[in-house]
Amino acid sequence: MLFNSFEYLLFLPLAFILYWFVFHRIVRIQNLLLVILSYIFYGWWDWRFLSLIFVSTLVDYMVGIQLSAANNKNKKAWLALSILVNLGLLGFFKYYNFFVDSFSKFAGELGFAMQDTWMLNIILPVGISFYTFQTMSYSLDIYHNKINPTKDFIAFAAYVSFFPQLVAGPIERASSLLPQILKKRKFDYTQGVQGLRLMLWGFFKKMAIADALAPIVDDIFTNYHSYSSGTLFMGAVFFGFQIYCDFSGYSDIAIGTAKLFGVELRSNFKFPYFSRNIAEFWRRWHISLSTWFRDYLYIPLGGSYGSRAKALRNIFIIFIVSGFWHGANWTFILWGALHALLFIPLFLTHSNRSNLDTIIGQYQLFPSIKELVQVLFTFLLVTLSWIFFRAENVGIAFEYISQIFQFTDGVQPFYHPRGFRMEDYFILLGAFYAYEYIIRKNERNPFSFRSAPLRYVVYCILVLLIFLFFDDQVDRSFIYFQF
Amino acid sequence: MRKFVLKSSLFLIFLVVALEIFVRVLHLYTEDPPRMIDDLLVEKRVPGHTGYAVTGNRRMNFSEFRINANGFNSHRDYKPSSTELEIALVGDSFIEGFHADYTNSLGVKLENFFNNSTEVYEYGYAGYDLANQYHLIEAYKADFDKIDFVVVYLDFATDLHRSSYAPNHGRIDLLASPLFKIRDNVKLLAYISKIGVLDKVQGFVSSVLGRNQAPVNTKEELDNEQVLEYIENFKKLSEDFNIDYTKTFLLLDSRKTSDLFLKYCAKENIPIIDFGAVFEKEQTPTDLVYDQHWNDYGRSVISQLIGEQIKARMSD
Repeated sequence: MLFNSFEYLLFLPLAFILYWFVFHRIVRIQNLLLVILSYIFYGWWDWRFLSLIFVSTLVDYMVGIQLSAANNKNKKAWLALSILVNLGLLGFFKYYNFFVDSFSKFAGELGFAMQDTWMLNIILPVGISFYTFQTMSYSLDIYHNKINPTKDFIAFAAYVSFFPQLVAGPIERASSLLPQILKKRKFDYTQGVQGLRLMLWGFFKKMAIADALAPIVDDIFTNYHSYSSGTLFMGAVFFGFQIYCDFSGYSDIAIGTAKLFGVELRSNFKFPYFSRNIAEFWRRWHISLSTWFRDYLYIPLGGSYGSRAKALRNIFIIFIVSGFWHGANWTFILWGALHALLFIPLFLTHSNRSNLDTIIGQYQLFPSIKELVQVLFTFLLVTLSWIFFRAENVGIAFEYISQIFQFTDGVQPFYHPRGFRMEDYFILLGAFYAYEYIIRKNERNPFSFRSAPLRYVVYCILVLLIFLFFDDQVDRSFIYFQF
Repeated sequence: MRKFVLKSSLFLIFLVVALEIFVRVLHLYTEDPPRMIDDLLVEKRVPGHTGYAVTGNRRMNFSEFRINANGFNSHRDYKPSSTELEIALVGDSFIEGFHADYTNSLGVKLENFFNNSTEVYEYGYAGYDLANQYHLIEAYKADFDKIDFVVVYLDFATDLHRSSYAPNHGRIDLLASPLFKIRDNVKLLAYISKIGVLDKVQGFVSSVLGRNQAPVNTKEELDNEQVLEYIENFKKLSEDFNIDYTKTFLLLDSRKTSDLFLKYCAKENIPIIDFGAVFEKEQTPTDLVYDQHWNDYGRSVISQLIGEQIKARMSD
């Protein structure tokens, strides 16, 4: 079920009523309801894949209990089982064909022709990368004695399948989400209002911006051969905004929905396009994934401790794995590697930890010239890297970039594939970026104005903009569902 | 919880009111003048209405209409005489022309082609098929006998589903139903239904009520049996309504019309004005961007085609 669908419009109020008015007295019953609602939400796509969530849930539930009772040797075996099952599911459904195809091509290069009968017609289950990582983190945290396992299977199932964040995150940790599910929840007015506000902001980003930019981006990336350098660069910038608004919009709706059910989820985005360097960008972009890799991969590998070479190796590993997590394609691996290359100079000059707790214009109304230049430069680097993320294959990505730098035809007028006024989109993006600057200090409250009438006017304008840029011919699913 | 539900409901109401105001002030909604079936069983608009037709969610196309005393969108009322040159254009929404200002319609362009020495009567109505059009010609026989040339717009794939005429009371009743009246009066609703926001809801309601829309066929989708059936329907309608093809032309797009039908027309000496072949060669777009109707340039091209064909016929 999509957040931006008619089904969800019916599902959410019904779920809310059942949750707070019918099954609210006993927490276990309320949790059971959450599990049922979540399975309906997920099963709306393809009920067959519910079995994968159930297997993942069951395995990590049992592993969790066994881990707490086992000795050191057995602990490793139980943890290995969890990792094997979760990565096995992920590897088979997401990466099997990629490895077979890559191996086949490699063998072909060496003169050994392979039949493509090894390739399987596999459908990628929605959100598999998210919930497998969430369940794995549970077992890893128990293994490292950070949390105690729960014996409440229903609560654990609710933690794994909690519908607002099941298919595209934020990837939650058991230490944060599970205690909230285990205790009795009470409806909080302020939390509910914040939830609705975040949902509105998320819907605006997804429906008014991401969906509106989609046909333009698709057209430019599909027909890149026929466009000028200026148009290709615009396509990359538009894709940057499309993917940001699509994914952060989803996260905001997820966080907002969770608030309606009395649950706090972690922030996933903190205005990444105001980052002053790549390191800051990664502290602001898809935070739940980057911190996951930091805690469960980078630090166990040794992090930045040890020799310089080892630290550089770890940086490369984490970025490449992060890229590979996004999809079974060399484009994502190159995207990750490119970010590693952009990060390393900062690491070597010890400036990767700068700007840790501040944002541009922290104590002023406007940013300084230096900050503006830094933000612009970082934005340019990120935009160029998005070309790898969006391109069908590595060859196309390189061709696209090389065409940009050939400055062919300079800036030619670009016409919307369906003939809409392009000026509208420039104004929309400009206004959006300016508004994000205004609210840049608090990603959890996009309407932090004291004046209630002003807030009300902003709500109205956002809904109107959703209608004004509503495109009934685009695919409304979220980009990150494919990951 | 009570406060939350009450305040959110109140906010939702305020939001809807504010949006209704926005939509009205910015005139984002389209107006649909009321429809009627007259004493001669011709479906048309209620005379005397003026307003604006809007296409697209950001008012991509905004045009003024005027329903004349005869119940059709035109800058003039129709008073044919036996002494002057008069041309009638009969067709569906393409001829009704809500996508263009009524002062810049296909009919006006055709009058300009003849240096305003002729009067063009536009009998256009969204939803007409060939049965509607031929019935109209017969119903207003007294007028059409005085009109020198008649151009009938034909979309082969969608206009020949039936072989006889019966007025569509169901459509008029449906549009006059409370649900549609609410939609027309609440401009926000009119706007969001027009831009496709309510498609899912409408689809859901239709599936619950078991109502499915009639299939729209394209040339490619038509099988041989359907083509033959449509040609039979055309023959029957022509015979039943006694259409005079010495003064009646079919305006059509050969790209969307069966070759078999085109051959039939050639064999029977039914004159056709094919704009498809001309549009195919055009470098400049001939259709609107958010709409399949002809744009200003497209209408200019078609008016010239019609004008030249009529001039040629007159000189024969």
